[in-house]
Amino acid sequence: MKRCGTIYSFCVVHSSTEVFQSKTPYVLAVVEYNRKKLMARVEGYSEKMDIAVGMEVSFLAEDEKGNPIYMFD
Amino acid sequence: MRSVSVVGIGETKIGRFPDRSLKSLILEAGSKAIDDAGIGKEDIGALFMSNYNAQSFCGQGHLGPLASEVLGLGNIPTIRVEGACASGSLAFRQALSAIASGMYDVVLVGGVEKMTHQSTEAVTAGLAGASDMEMEAALGATFPSIFAMIANRYFHEYGNVRNEMAMCAVQNHENALLNPDAQMQKRITVEQVINGFPIASPFTIYDCSLISDGAAFVVLAATDVAKSICRKRLVEVVGSGHAGDTLTLASKGSMTTFAATVLAAKQAYSMAGIMSAQIDLAEVHDCFTITQIINTEDLGLFAKGKGAAAVAEGKTAINGQIPINVSGGLKAKGHPIGATGLCQIYEIVTQLRGDAGVRQLKKADIGLTHNIGGTAATCVVSIFRGR
Repeated sequence: MKRCGTIYSFCVVHSSTEVFQSKTPYVLAVVEYNRKKLMARVEGYSEKMDIAVGMEVSFLAEDEKGNPIYMFD
Repeated sequence: MRSVSVVGIGETKIGRFPDRSLKSLILEAGSKAIDDAGIGKEDIGALFMSNYNAQSFCGQGHLGPLASEVLGLGNIPTIRVEGACASGSLAFRQALSAIASGMYDVVLVGGVEKMTHQSTEAVTAGLAGASDMEMEAALGATFPSIFAMIANRYFHEYGNVRNEMAMCAVQNHENALLNPDAQMQKRITVEQVINGFPIASPFTIYDCSLISDGAAFVVLAATDVAKSICRKRLVEVVGSGHAGDTLTLASKGSMTTFAATVLAAKQAYSMAGIMSAQIDLAEVHDCFTITQIINTEDLGLFAKGKGAAAVAEGKTAINGQIPINVSGGLKAKGHPIGATGLCQIYEIVTQLRGDAGVRQLKKADIGLTHNIGGTAATCVVSIFRGR
């Protein structure tokens, strides 16, 4: 079953720390799932995309610290 | 509780001084504050020293004895205080309570940070340590990105205030042009802010406070003692509040109202016995342009959702209803993390004394400082009254 979260807020990161430089631009969001809000990275961003609060994103995986990674549909 | 007053202030120019040492910054600002107070070093009972991250930026810890040795303070007790970007006003509040309790009569409070010798990436990583390393920084979050999420949520709840955010930056740059201690001495336009180098949407480089080196010191004394030593207008600390919140952004009750600010302000107003409308000027923590707007609302200076319109209507300008960040703020005076809270106090005391030169406000009797650490996880609000 597909697990979807809702974007509570977001931003596109253009300037990052050294470790994440190869990923820029990337999307960070606070995603609400099951009435719980967690910070997440949302993969699959392209510059033409219009991101908005309330948008649904699909759960992809957890990172090594157990943080959720979502993706744009 | 004993009444406490500010009797001495000193700061370095804020700026990029990669060749200056921590010690040199401390010596300059500390000596200025002690001279300004007109006291002898032997009168100082203790040193509260604020610093965020010299351990990582400079490899130097144990800032209390470092500063005490540089300033020749002998064997007085010292302590380093850390609360991210609120470290300076936290140290100030600890000193305040130490005098108020009767433990000391005269206390020196100092703050210092040295960052510009490091790369922007290294500084960004060093600052990210004030967020949650596992649940935020590990995902690629930086402070600009965390506050950018706050801005986008604010747009969702109260409407898009992108232009008004830019106006905050423009206004703070204008104010800094009148402040010789300010790092940024450059006029900018709303278009420049909006079209600047992108950092984290909606922020460009012009929405972000500066990376700075600098130090600031304040001498505090019990008011009964201060009356006999202070040669300038006595500035009494009439209100002080300190509150906290969760470290992480996602766990906060609201992203667009900072609970720590609301609570700290409530304590400070209540202790001072005043309403927000009585404040003549305020230095608020403008780490990012959206933060200045949110802070002025949370402090009760403007209604919720009306902070941006107040900027556009000129209410926060130097000649407005309630001048905000006359010094240039973190945005243009600069943000030497450990010194920032004390730099804010430096400006308020200078204004209340009538010593602010070309940027002197006509009416400056009650001033407020607001300083937050991390994602508004620590907040200190102080209120000052000229006697």
